Order: sequence, then structure tokens, then C-alpha cells
Amino acid sequence: MNLLALKHKTLQELKTDLGIKNRDALLERFCTLGLPSKKSEAYRYFDIEKLLDYSYKTLNYIPKNPEVSEIIEIVDGVVVAAPKGMRIYNEACEQIDMDHFDPLYYLTHLLSPQTIKIELDGDTEVEIEHRFTQSGTLIDYRIVLYTQSNRHATVYENFISEEIENTLVLYGYDMHIAQDSTLRVVKMHSMQDDGYAMVASHKVNVAKNAHAMFKSFDVGKDLALQLLKVELDEYAHVDAGHLLYLNEDSKRGTVSQIVHVGEHSTSKQEAKNILDGKSRGIFDALIRVEHSAKYTKAEQNSKAILLHDDAYMVAKPQLEIYIDELEASHGATTGQLDRKQLFYLQSRGISYTEARKMLVIAFANTLIEQVKDTRQQERIKASFEEAFYKGNM
Amino acid sequence: MSSIMKIENLQAKIGDKQILKGLDLELEPGKVHAIMGPNGAGKSTLSKALVGHYDVELTGGDIIYKGKNINEMEAEERALEGIFLSFQHPVEIPGVNNAYFLRTALNAKRKHEGKEELNAAEFLRLMRDHLEMLGMKSDMISRSLNEGFSGGEKKRNEILQMLILEPEVIILDEIDSGLDIDALRAVSEGINKMKDGKRSFLVITHYSRILDYIEPDYIHVLKDGRIIKTAGPELVSQLEEHGYDAIEEE
Repeated sequence: MNLLALKHKTLQELKTDLGIKNRDALLERFCTLGLPSKKSEAYRYFDIEKLLDYSYKTLNYIPKNPEVSEIIEIVDGVVVAAPKGMRIYNEACEQIDMDHFDPLYYLTHLLSPQTIKIELDGDTEVEIEHRFTQSGTLIDYRIVLYTQSNRHATVYENFISEEIENTLVLYGYDMHIAQDSTLRVVKMHSMQDDGYAMVASHKVNVAKNAHAMFKSFDVGKDLALQLLKVELDEYAHVDAGHLLYLNEDSKRGTVSQIVHVGEHSTSKQEAKNILDGKSRGIFDALIRVEHSAKYTKAEQNSKAILLHDDAYMVAKPQLEIYIDELEASHGATTGQLDRKQLFYLQSRGISYTEARKMLVIAFANTLIEQVKDTRQQERIKASFEEAFYKGNM
Repeated sequence: MSSIMKIENLQAKIGDKQILKGLDLELEPGKVHAIMGPNGAGKSTLSKALVGHYDVELTGGDIIYKGKNINEMEAEERALEGIFLSFQHPVEIPGVNNAYFLRTALNAKRKHEGKEELNAAEFLRLMRDHLEMLGMKSDMISRSLNEGFSGGEKKRNEILQMLILEPEVIILDEIDSGLDIDALRAVSEGINKMKDGKRSFLVITHYSRILDYIEPDYIHVLKDGRIIKTAGPELVSQLEEHGYDAIEEE
């Protein structure tokens, strides 16, 4: 399948090409937004057309009976293992956002009518490992996550590939965080010539008085973009943090919309970006405060350190506000490592590379240390260091 | 006695300004050399030049350390070879843990010397012993490097690093600035503890106060980028009485 061939197709043609029945509303929305291109706002800084213009193999997603495991293992879009008693189903998604900004959100829903539905029971902590094993393949799947009211759940996500090349992964979550509950998602995504590119398109609904924490740690190289839309009900809160450490000619980042719908909703979004080589970091983030969202508090910040003259940061923090009764702030800075600090470390016998690493980790630490689980924190630090040394060999 | 460091006709500039204009100095092993001089004489430029600071461009002369010319040597290599500068204004580095930093520095040096690296527990024992001696709080272990430290804490932290890294040439740039009497005493005690008859000290100062605590063997007067006089400790009282203007070049 060459996804670029879907460009400019009519609804009827798309129905035929994708073999879809009865999903006209989704198709209409996809047609309205159009296949992403350089001209699309969300993909302006990402080479999406290059990724779409390839004849990918497609997969038949046949659900399996998952083996019992400590973690949820998803191999090429199919759940193959899960903890005992974990409620996982293959079902059509019941609640699709009809106002998402990302066309690939709709395309992945169209391509994956059966989603992986995970109901997080009680206070739980679960690890999801995504594994990709097929070369030259379009791997597309969606996950729907539900939490229970008054419960607190944590999801750790990581990604592994097995000697593949030219694969495109399109996936994403629809998360429904129930009233008075908390969901923490910690995504660790390390890529080093991993043979695949990824576009992840998420939607997070945060119900009344619920809290969402979404921390993403993207390190290494290659091409990957996460597109995130969060909707906040009354007294709902989201704490989003994005750490990016890139090297060589990678292009990765976050495009997001946080929409305050309910009164007294609060959001905090912080991006820290460290860019080496010829890499490009993307932080294109909008906070929208609707008429209904009086007494909102919103805070958004992006900081970038460029380690190389050819590195480039696209930082676009934006506010779109329709009320007066709120507190909101946003800002972005881009700089380099502090030469005085670097020299101080070197003057104690620490090598230039090690001193740079220490300063880079120090910059990133405020985000890494927000991950309370020490094992996960160590894992993030190890991936970070591994990517750093590979970029500084 | 042969010198541990020999500075010959050293010329250096910062930006477009020529600051050191043919400075000669020999540091003897086991001796305390005090450099005194008026503002703008080049004292701090000298200390920066000796540790390979990026601000300073050497335009002539040689720095010979243990018989080797180190003009082109990188800062970290000079440190590994045993040259230590206690900074006048140590920088704050938020997010870099003090203990982690110092263990990294010590292990880099031990590795350079072909010694086994210290593990975290061994290092912490070593650090705690020195903290106690310097009257420093144990939370210094977990705090970020110099972040939020008072002036006195920063200077004590410099001395802590010196004690742990055990350098051979110790340059103390205005170590007494911003210190109260108690801190000055603790810092001086740390410095005196390092005297072993082999290490060489270069104490750079405006005032003679620190020299009441660290007894110098030589006083060198630095003026307009050159050492204009070298004498014994008796020169201090002469400087106190008559000032730098009264000193005539030898």
C-alpha cells in the first residue's frame, strides 16, 4: 500500500481503496483534513510525504490468545502477552473524537476498525512493550485505554525493533481518564537506526476532577512524531512533559493541542530539547481555552539546547484564548551549553565528552526525576546515556 | 631545588588586551608562593593561563610543568596531571549532583594514574571524612554543584575538591574573598592539611589576611603583567605599610 496514493481521493474512492463500509463520518473528516503534506500545519516541519510515498506491505491483524506475562507485549500490532487477569479486548472504538486536528488520527481509525481495548482495573501499574518485526511494512493499530473512577493507574511504554528496515508505524491511543482518577503515562522511545519511522496520534479525554500525566522521553535518531490532543473537563488537570535528545539527521518531536473545556481546569506542559548533529526538534504546541473554561490555569514552556551549529529547533508554543478569567503563560528559549560550566567540570579532569554529558543530563534531569519509579528512571537515564555516547563517538 | 612549575617570559591576552607581558616565576615543590598585586595587575589572568582557560590566549613564553611544556595542553589534561585551580567565583551547576561530580572527577584522575576507580560507597566514606574536617553539612553530598551555596560554602567546596583530588600544584585565586573568620579558618586548615613538603601552592590575593593563616615562603609582587619583586614573607608588612606603588622593580 502506498499511502500517498490516497491523496485527493473522493470519499467513495477511499471507501473502495480501503475496503471500508459504514464509516462515512470518519471518512468525511479525513477527506476534509486531507492526507498530511508539507503544507499541513501539524506536519510542516516533518518529512511526512517521504514516509507516505512508499509501497508498504500490509498485515492481517489476527487477534491471539495472549500468553501470561508480566507486561503487555504488542508485536506488530497484535497483543501476544499480557499480565494474568488484565482486561484486554479487540473491539471497535466507541468514542472517536470528531474534532481532532490530525488527519492520521482518522486514517489509523479507518485502517484499524478493531482496536486494542485495555481496561485498567483499580490502582494498577502496567508496562506496554511495542515490538516491530516486519520490514517494508505498514504497521497500524490503535489502543483504547480506560481507567476507573477514583483509581490511579500508571502505564510505562517502550519500543523495540528486530533488525527491520523501511517500516512505517502508525499507532495511537484514545485514553479515557475517568472522573476523580489519575493516569500516568511514561513513554520511553529510543531509536538508533531502528529501521522504522513512527507517527503516533493520540487523544486523551480527562474527565471531571481527573489527572493525566503524560511524559515522553524520545532519544536517539530516525523519524518520529507524536501528535497529542488533550481535552480537559471541569477541575481536570494535565501535566505533560517532553524530553527530546536527538543526534545525526533525525527529525522528531511533539505536535499538541491541549483544550480546556471545563471550568477550573489546569494544564502544565514542559518541553526540554537537546539537539546534536543535524537533527531537528519539533515542539509545536497549542493551548486552547474555550468559552466554557473559566478560571483555567495554563502554563507552557519549551527550552532547547543546541549542541551543534547545524541542529535546529522548531519551538512554537501558542495560546488561543476565548475568555478573560484565566491565568496563562507560555515561552520558549533556545541556547547552548554554558561554557563556564563546561570549563569548570573540565578543570577538575573531567573529559569534554563526559562534561557535556553531565550538563546535558542535568538539563534533562528535572523531567527524568519526575518519573517516581526508580527502575524506570534508571532505564530512561541508561537510554539517554547510550544515545549520547552513540552521538559522540 | 628544581622547580615543579617554571613560567618563562609568559605573555597572554584576553580579547584584544595584552595582560601578561613577560612574566617569570618558578614554583618550588613544598613551598607556598603568594602573588600579590593591585587590581588589574594580571593575577587572575595568570591563574587562568596556568589551567588553560578558554578566555586566555598565550602570545609568548612557556609554562613548563614537571619538565614538560603545557602551553597547548587541554584543561582536563592539566587537571589530570595535578594542576588545580580554586576559582574566585565557582560556577553553579544545577542538576549536577555534588558527590557524583566529585566522584567522576576523582575516578577520572585515578584512571589516569592507573589506579582502580572508587565505588560509590568507598567514595562517600572519603567525602564524609573531609566534609567533617571542613565543617560542612552532610547535605552537600546530595545538593547540586554550588547551586544556592553561600560564598563561604562555595569556597569550602573548592577546598573539599582539592582535598579529594590531591593535586600537586594548587592555585588559590582570592580564596579568602567573601569569607568570614570561621570560614577562613576552616578553609585555611584544609589548605594547611595539604602541605606535605612536595605540593606547591600559588596563593593569589589582594590582601595579607589569608597569609596570617597560610604561611608563605615567597611573596611575589605582580604589577602590569610582570613579577616585579620576589622576597620572603617580610615583604607583606612592607606592602601593608607602603602599598604597591612603593615597590620598585628589581
